[in-house]
Amino acid sequence: MTVARLFLRRLVQALLVSLMVSTLSFFMMRALPGDAAMRVAAARYGHDLVTARAADAVRAELKLDRPVASALFSWWGDVLRLNLGTSAVTAAPVVDEVSHQLGYTIRLALASMGIALLFGLVLGVLCGLWPGSVFDQAWRALAAAIRAVPPFILGLLLIVAFSVEISALPAAGTMDSTSLVLPALTLAVGLSAGLIRVTRDALKSVTESGYFAFARTKGLSLNQALLRHALRNAAAPVTAYLSVQLVFLIEGVVAVETLFAWPGIGHALVHAIYARDVPMIQGTVMAMALLFVCLSALADFAILAIDPRRR
Amino acid sequence: MTFLDVRDLSVHAGTTAVVRDVSLRLEESQTYTLLGETGSGKSLLAQAIMGNLPAGLRSSGSITVFGETSTADETVKRRRLWGHSMALLPQEPWLALDPTMRVLSQVAETYQRVRRPSESRESARKRATGDFLTLGLEGAERKLPGALSGGMAQRTAFAAVRSGGARLLIVDEPTKGLDAGLRDSIVSMLKQVAANDGAVLTITHDVAAARSLGGTIGVMLDGEIVEQGPAAQVLAEPRHDYTRRLLAADPQTWGPRTQPPPLGPVLAANGLSKRFGHHQLFANLDIEIAADERFAVIGPSGSGKTTLGGMLLGLVPPDSGSVWRRSDVPAWKFQKLYQDPIAAFAPRASLRTSLRDVVSRHNLGWKEVEKWLDRTRLRASLLDRLPDQVSSGELQRIALVRVLLLRPVLLVADEPTSRLDPITQQETIELLAECLVDAGCALVLVTHDPAIAGSLASRVLTLNPPSPPAP
Amino acid sequence: MTTSSAFKPMTRWQWAGLAILALTALFSLVAPVVGGDPLVQDLDHVMVKPSAASPLGTDHLGRSMLARLGHAARLSLLLAALSVLTAAIPGAVLGVAAAWRSRWTDTMLSTIADGVLALPGLLLIVLLTAFAPGRFWPFYVGLSLALWVEYFRVVRASAQSLLRGPQVEASRLLGFGPAYIVRRHLLPELFPLLRTLMTFGAATSVLSLAALGLVGVGLRPPTPELGTMMIELLPHYQEAPWLIAEPILILLFAVTGLALVAGEREFR
Repeated sequence: MTVARLFLRRLVQALLVSLMVSTLSFFMMRALPGDAAMRVAAARYGHDLVTARAADAVRAELKLDRPVASALFSWWGDVLRLNLGTSAVTAAPVVDEVSHQLGYTIRLALASMGIALLFGLVLGVLCGLWPGSVFDQAWRALAAAIRAVPPFILGLLLIVAFSVEISALPAAGTMDSTSLVLPALTLAVGLSAGLIRVTRDALKSVTESGYFAFARTKGLSLNQALLRHALRNAAAPVTAYLSVQLVFLIEGVVAVETLFAWPGIGHALVHAIYARDVPMIQGTVMAMALLFVCLSALADFAILAIDPRRR
Repeated sequence: MTFLDVRDLSVHAGTTAVVRDVSLRLEESQTYTLLGETGSGKSLLAQAIMGNLPAGLRSSGSITVFGETSTADETVKRRRLWGHSMALLPQEPWLALDPTMRVLSQVAETYQRVRRPSESRESARKRATGDFLTLGLEGAERKLPGALSGGMAQRTAFAAVRSGGARLLIVDEPTKGLDAGLRDSIVSMLKQVAANDGAVLTITHDVAAARSLGGTIGVMLDGEIVEQGPAAQVLAEPRHDYTRRLLAADPQTWGPRTQPPPLGPVLAANGLSKRFGHHQLFANLDIEIAADERFAVIGPSGSGKTTLGGMLLGLVPPDSGSVWRRSDVPAWKFQKLYQDPIAAFAPRASLRTSLRDVVSRHNLGWKEVEKWLDRTRLRASLLDRLPDQVSSGELQRIALVRVLLLRPVLLVADEPTSRLDPITQQETIELLAECLVDAGCALVLVTHDPAIAGSLASRVLTLNPPSPPAP
Repeated sequence: MTTSSAFKPMTRWQWAGLAILALTALFSLVAPVVGGDPLVQDLDHVMVKPSAASPLGTDHLGRSMLARLGHAARLSLLLAALSVLTAAIPGAVLGVAAAWRSRWTDTMLSTIADGVLALPGLLLIVLLTAFAPGRFWPFYVGLSLALWVEYFRVVRASAQSLLRGPQVEASRLLGFGPAYIVRRHLLPELFPLLRTLMTFGAATSVLSLAALGLVGVGLRPPTPELGTMMIELLPHYQEAPWLIAEPILILLFAVTGLALVAGEREFR
């Protein structure tokens, strides 16, 4: 699979998912009870000042006055040009809101990944080098137990343990670095539990392989064999695993941001659903899906860079 | 100078001795061939000498390498010799190469890091490139092991092992999975190592390779050396009974068999050709096979012989040409035997179930099965097992029974014995020939061994090796 | 040519998981019957500790926790079973079709699957719940749609390698037809795969429902559901810690049981 083909595949996925989300949102707009146009207009001009004319203008904007087929095409056109309308709650352009929130979510994602990689890779390598040892067995059991606990429960438990008990780390509120710790930790713990296991298994299978044995018998020292042969071969399945975990990350973001009131896209999505703010629902879901496709593309390229067999 | 002196080496798995009191000596410029079948303990012997037995096995005895003596279990001492004094070329070398590293680097790194005195990075690469040229691997430097053929992987591993500079070379089954032409080339490479101030200990079940190598031969059975001596002597006048049987199993000693009288054609093919990527495997091939005839297709790996077999059965469409099969018999009268018998059976059904399926599909009686089981000397109790619980030799015979139930008119046997030990191979070929005569079935034997083909078949078609691809 | 793994008997971990699952299922059947009405409030007996009268205590509105948990567990298990079956059967059939039939069928189905994969399952469910907030069908439809792709891909990969391999070729030569090939070659290989996938899928379903309940886009209260119960009971954590512990434990119990039965393969 060449770089070009991979890129194309992800591009097609991005288009498909945008189409899916926007189509669903389009029908949602028409299916929900109440007058969507009136609500958007009221948000924009204020509940007291909104007039029937203003509502009609919004109705035209949302294409609610046109037949389904032509409206749908027009809707798609808007979406592709990144015109995602305005929020039915704040009247601000969806694109602006979402880009602001995206920044927070990316910070959370990076922090979680960073912690997970540091913790998971190091422990995984250590377990893999001494498989069957007490160290290995203990960490594997712990990792398996943690893996069974979903992130939102972990988050709950952490809130309860750290905030209510100790009042040291804030559960919600200010948006600085300390308030990033708990949500990032929540996601990171689940991620690293799986990572420990996968890294360990990958390293173990590599050190038990024929080519590793051959590298040693042809005279390379243990360190040389590990660095020159084991690392690269073990990196491939680990990277593949991480790319699969992206789904877990994106889905976990929704729960974790809501629990800890971290103002990222997941948090915004949940609030948009409460408020039936269809433009925001569309915007946030699309942003998350596209973020997912982007990260998957990055993972694809990483695998391509690591494993020469794929080129 | 004595390179290797092994005294009373034993290897134990628990209380069982899998290698018993083996003694052998290897002098400079000599070759020693350990000849034996699977399960004789020969690979374990090699690993014990190197010092990398699998966990759970104990060894005893003394091993002297280049004058330095150690007890068999003092593996750390011998480990220091790995690569630059003593080296092991493992079985199935395509598994010994790092699948994600380009092959030139795998040879160059040994020059750079193992050889004494070590080479600089640039000179290591230069020397490795030179080796590639000498070994006929030119053009393959930047490839990954997965892109190499079996023979090329063999030569790459050989180069990697030599680049460490070791003069004592232990080689494990160098001809396994290789066709006759490649077998000769690896044997001559090994002889050259010995000739250039080295010494080679070869472990193999391939009698032809042992014959070619010369030097000293030790015949191994059940963990012991039962006969030892200069190659010429052991091969010409074997004293031990097992040695005699082993030698008799070498197809080169088989005479031609009597052929049945020719009858009408059962298959005719015209103008067959097939292309694979850039290679034209064969073109304008005409084949006619008479009922009861034995026909062989030989050629090295990659020559397209398996594909040709598939074409004759209608499993693979030819690029051009056509195949005619006798139309007055149903399609299932044309059958195939597979190289790897275990791949041809449903893995989770007992063999009895699989045979019963055939019996009921074709409205036969179970008596037919019993008759053929008898003929192939198989115990009925084997049938209650799953395919992977039976030895390859037995499974191939069961596959033969399954096919014979249908009273086929033509059987394409695709390398049916290449995975078997020599004695099992001989028995299986015997059975194949006899049963087909009984069943009145024609045979197309696909093989890489010209000796088997020559002994068994009345006509032999030789396919050429694929022309090397344009660089 | 690799052969499939031999049929493995259940390990004791798997038996343990099965036992845990059986217990959970039993609870979900018995508790609603024994516990009474989960919606009836009794403001005189709020946050009662577990006792003989009310074995799991009462919540902040005096409702029987036993009844609520029983109903919630039943709901989760039912949803899990339904969505997994709805996803697995079409997914597997389409997977075999893609492997067996023409390249065009394969390409078309694979592209659709690829497209669905682009949207993480939870987001799809969330999007659907926005259509009908608090109702059951968005979860069922969303979960099934999110899950089928995995069955499709796994079955397709397995069927492809089988159908092109010597096993099936030999059977075809021996005169067997498609029905035999499905029965003797495909199904025995696919069953263990599907079994593992289905248990993982069930765990995913249970978790997704609870996760969405927790963030507030799940089933509408007063319908008892594990996630919504957790968020309702969180404010009362200090006065009555056992309350929030109960739905958490039930959830963990069910998911652990499923994960153990599924076996060694990496979850998610």
